[in-house]
Amino acid sequence: MTKAHVNKLDDQNLSALLDGEEFLTDQEIAAKESATLGRYALIGDVMRAESENDFVLDISDSVAKALESEPVYADFSQKQDTESTAVASDNVIAFNWRKPLAQLAIAASVAMFAIVGVQTLPQDDNSPMNEIPMLQSTPLTGVASPVSYSSEPALENAEKGFRELQQQRIGALVLEHQRQARVAYSLEKAQTKAQAEEEKK
Amino acid sequence: MKFITLILSLALMAPAYSSDEKSAKELLLNMAEAVHNRNFDASFVVVKGKSMEPYRWLHAKQGETELEHLSLLNGAGLEIIRIDNQVTYFEPQSAPYSIATDSIAGPIPEVLFKNIERLNQEYDFVLGGKGRIAGRPAQLVRIESKDEYKFNYWLWIDAESSLILKSAYVNHNGDMLEQLQLTHISVTEEPAPLLLEMLNKEFPTPLPSDAIAKNTDNLASNNWQIGWLPDGFSLLKSDRHKLDLNNELTDYYLYSDGFVEVSVFVQRPLPGRRPSGALSSGATTIYVHNAGSFDVSVVGNIPAATAKTIAESVARPL
Repeated sequence: MTKAHVNKLDDQNLSALLDGEEFLTDQEIAAKESATLGRYALIGDVMRAESENDFVLDISDSVAKALESEPVYADFSQKQDTESTAVASDNVIAFNWRKPLAQLAIAASVAMFAIVGVQTLPQDDNSPMNEIPMLQSTPLTGVASPVSYSSEPALENAEKGFRELQQQRIGALVLEHQRQARVAYSLEKAQTKAQAEEEKK
Repeated sequence: MKFITLILSLALMAPAYSSDEKSAKELLLNMAEAVHNRNFDASFVVVKGKSMEPYRWLHAKQGETELEHLSLLNGAGLEIIRIDNQVTYFEPQSAPYSIATDSIAGPIPEVLFKNIERLNQEYDFVLGGKGRIAGRPAQLVRIESKDEYKFNYWLWIDAESSLILKSAYVNHNGDMLEQLQLTHISVTEEPAPLLLEMLNKEFPTPLPSDAIAKNTDNLASNNWQIGWLPDGFSLLKSDRHKLDLNNELTDYYLYSDGFVEVSVFVQRPLPGRRPSGALSSGATTIYVHNAGSFDVSVVGNIPAATAKTIAESVARPL
C-alpha cells in the first residue's frame, strides 16, 4: 500500500463519520489535520444549506480579467457595417425581380370568402341591415368537415357540390372586382377628359 | 349694443366655420403632396374583422421621377411597383402587367392622393380631434358621406410630416369596419436604395389608358338595366368577359363615385338551391342575388343594404 492510498482511505472514513455513517473513534480524529476536518464540515453544511455564513463565490474579478484578454467579435462603434447587415436581412429584399410570387396558391383574399352556410339574422328591430341574410364565411384552411349523418348521401353530396360552385364563384368575383378597380381611376380620368373636350366643342 | 355684439359674434364665427372646413381639406391636400414628394419607408397593417394583412410601403422622389413600392407580406403576396405614370402588378398565378396610371390601387383609396375636390358633391370633410397614432401627434379628418348609402372614411394625419398614419372605413353607427394602421414610418432625406434599383429593371409595357376606355368590342351596357345606384356613381366600363379563376362568363359593369368602386356581375344561374345573401370582409360587401333566371352579384366597399338594393334593381331591358 502506498502512502497516498492510505490517506485516501482515511479521508473516506472521515467523510463517512461526518455523514453519520460511522462512529467516532479518538484515533481517527487525532490522525487528521484540523483544516481538513473543518473543510469537510463546511462542505456538508453548505450542501445541507445550514451554513450561517453565506457561501459567496466572487468570480467577478477573474471574469473581468478574462474579458480584457478576449478578442473583439463585434465592434458596435463601426455603425456603417451594422447598418448594411440590417438591410441585407430585410424582409422586402426577399422579392425576386425575375420570377416573383410563382407557384403559390390562390391569394388569401380569395380564400377568405368561402361560404359554409347561410344564416338569417334575427329580425328584432326595423333597421334595414337586419333584414339582410348573411352568408357565413370562414377561411378555407383549417375547417374540420363534420361527419354527415344524412340518410341521403347523394343529396348531401350534390348540396356540397353546389356550395363549392358558389364558393368558387364568389372567390372569382372578388378577385375580378379587385383587378377591375385598378383601372377605375385611369378610366375615370380619361372619361372626365373626354367630357371636358366635348364641352369645349 | 346687443345688435352690434350679435353682428360681431357672427362675423367672428363665420370665418371660424369656413376655416374649419378649409383646413380639413387643406390637411388632405397637404397629405397628398407629402405622399408624392417625400422619401419614406412605412409598414402598415389592414385589419378586416378577424383577418389582418401586413404591408410594406416605400416611396421616393428621385429628381422628377416618383418611385413607389407596395407589397403584401403575408400569404401568396402581391407586389405593386410604380414608376411615375406606370403601375405594375405582380400577382400569384398570373403574368405581371402594367397600367398607365399615376397611383397605386392599394388599400388606401387613390383619390386621397389626388384631387379630392371632386368628392365635394357626395362627401363632407370634417375636422376631428387630435390624438397620438403610431407614436406621433395626429389630426383626425373625417370624410362623411352625405347619405346613408356609403361608408364614411376617417383619416389620421401626422401633424409634422402630413403623412397618413391611420385610416378606417366607418359605418353610420360609428363602428370601424376596416382599419389601416401604420406601425412604423421613417422619413429620410435620401431615397431608399431598393427603390433606386427599380429604375434599372424592365417592366411590361402598359396599354394606353385611352385604349382601355375606348374598348367597346364587348359592350354590355344594353344587356341589362341597372335600375338604381346611389347618387354620384357613374358607369366606367361594361363588357362581357370570362372570369379568370373559374372561367365563367359574366356581364360586367364597373361603377365609381370617385371614392369607392362597385362591380355588378350578371351571370347564368348556378344549379341547386341558391339563397340570396350578403358576405362581408372588412368594408367589402358581396351581395349575391338570385333573380330566378339569372344571378346578380354586387361587390364593393359599400353597406350590405346598398349592395342589396343595387342587385335587386337589375332587370332585363324592356
